[in-house]
Amino acid sequence: MAARGCRRLLWRGRRWFSQAESAALPRPPDSLYPPVVASATAKSKAAKRRRQEYFLQRVHAAPSIEEKLRIYSQRQRPKYMVYPQTFALNADRWYRSFTKTVFVPGLPPRAAAAPQPAAGAAPEVGGAPGPGAAAPEAAKPPAGPAPFLDVAELRSLACDVLLQESFYQSKGRPFLYRDHDHTAGPFLTQLVSTLTAFLCGRNPLLAASTLDLKPEVNFYWHHGEEVVVHGHRKGRVDPVRFQIDDKPHLQIRVPKQLPEIVPLELDLGEVPVINHKPSKLPLFKKQYENRIYIGSKVADPCCYGHTQFHLIPDKLKRQRFVKANLEDQIEVLYRANGIASLFAWTAAQAMYQGFWHEADVTRPFVSQAVITDGRYFAFFCYQLNTLALTAETIQNNPRKNICWGTESKPLYDVVEDGNVKGFNDEVLFHLVCFLLNRPKEL
Amino acid sequence: YPLFQLGGPQLRIFRPDFFMLAVRPGVPQPEDTVQFRVSMQMTKVDIKNYLEKIYNVPVAAVRTRIQYGANNKRNHKNQRVKKPDYKVAYVQLGQGQTFQFPNLFPEKEQDAETQSFDDFKNKYMEREQQKHKGDPRRGGVPDWFGL
Repeated sequence: MAARGCRRLLWRGRRWFSQAESAALPRPPDSLYPPVVASATAKSKAAKRRRQEYFLQRVHAAPSIEEKLRIYSQRQRPKYMVYPQTFALNADRWYRSFTKTVFVPGLPPRAAAAPQPAAGAAPEVGGAPGPGAAAPEAAKPPAGPAPFLDVAELRSLACDVLLQESFYQSKGRPFLYRDHDHTAGPFLTQLVSTLTAFLCGRNPLLAASTLDLKPEVNFYWHHGEEVVVHGHRKGRVDPVRFQIDDKPHLQIRVPKQLPEIVPLELDLGEVPVINHKPSKLPLFKKQYENRIYIGSKVADPCCYGHTQFHLIPDKLKRQRFVKANLEDQIEVLYRANGIASLFAWTAAQAMYQGFWHEADVTRPFVSQAVITDGRYFAFFCYQLNTLALTAETIQNNPRKNICWGTESKPLYDVVEDGNVKGFNDEVLFHLVCFLLNRPKEL
Repeated sequence: YPLFQLGGPQLRIFRPDFFMLAVRPGVPQPEDTVQFRVSMQMTKVDIKNYLEKIYNVPVAAVRTRIQYGANNKRNHKNQRVKKPDYKVAYVQLGQGQTFQFPNLFPEKEQDAETQSFDDFKNKYMEREQQKHKGDPRRGGVPDWFGL
């Protein structure tokens, strides 16, 4: 004990923990001699292993979550900056391999079948079970028949918001590359706040939720190993470090966690294995603060995520892809954004609960996202089953993270003369299902 | 080329005197990436148009970098000799196409005649070397060494 305290003084050099050392002394040692262990400062593999074990012990023994995150993200080294909204080709395949995620097209059956629309309202939308039949996840048995949703009222709300932003309000011409901030951004904000307020009565979780405007979400992780190419550390094996810094347009955080979609150990597909370096994507390295943040600090009661809303910027809009003959990359953009943003958010939520790659998650973390460019909407669900992505912990880990996602569908065709033409009810239905998602107890 | 000003004519080049050299990548590249050495004056847009218009190759993305040629070697007059700089372009192909740089020097299979001739030649060379070796009982010591 005294020996270990001494060695800690040697490592720090400048800081003197004399009080901590004297507090640890009184216990009589088990044997006369100090334990025979490898050196901690030598240039040997045993010493490196001992330093690594000491670091893991420090993180395990951290007294609070903030301290744990601080020690975990203390050492700064060059890392790859992963941008969720990227123009890189086939980025979603690369992102799936970085985050060990399986992509399943289409939404999971639970999210699609939640509430029942009003019998007298417009056409039945796909996925809703028959009237009166107890949808096992949605109906609340003790409270009698589930309250019907008025699709017409929701549609009129959405159309009102759309017309207000794009027709009634006279705005100036948008600046270059600022189209999304001009119309689509305010429309999305108003739509989400209006629908959330309308559905509060149906979903008590929304009443206790927090809506963040332009929050920041950050996550830092290691995955795989590489050999350092040039520099004074040439030839050594280093973990590959990644950091996601995401700024969703809107975010709903809730105090209770969403229920799991599938069991923790379920295997739904293959994770792509890419043997090339991430810099070929292209992905670039920089060294800066390793931040892990969900949108609020650890002490906030709303520490679980519900839904994120992302806005595609003007530089990545559909028209530009079509002009460059890259139509297939449009869906890739939506998928990559969904996978990267949701992985960062769910993993940061898990770290806020004290899990990390040595202490893997014991329950799955679920979040949802809606990615839109103002007209086309794509819906994503993410279930985080594992945080163990480092080279040592990934070897015996059969769990994979799962992401469900749809293709982007238009909400409306065109806005003309105070009318919205070609309104798509299915997209609105999906949006409402997402907002009404809640744990089974509520 | 004449500098473009607003309202001026669009620059059209009909017979470019640029050349693009496809090279084997030193570092393994993804399957859809082809590596070229191009003229220093070419831009990413130039490279894209060149490949699409002349060779009908669908190009999804182009990234370029300039490789600095070292100036460390010295000639017999101790003057520094510079290796020329060149621009490298990494072209990602569109429409899901892939490209693997071919092996330009494959190992040729030897037919029976050349093989037997090679064996004969090796045996002859061995016999010649045996003749020029000295007495094996002397253990490699030359025959002029002695009393």
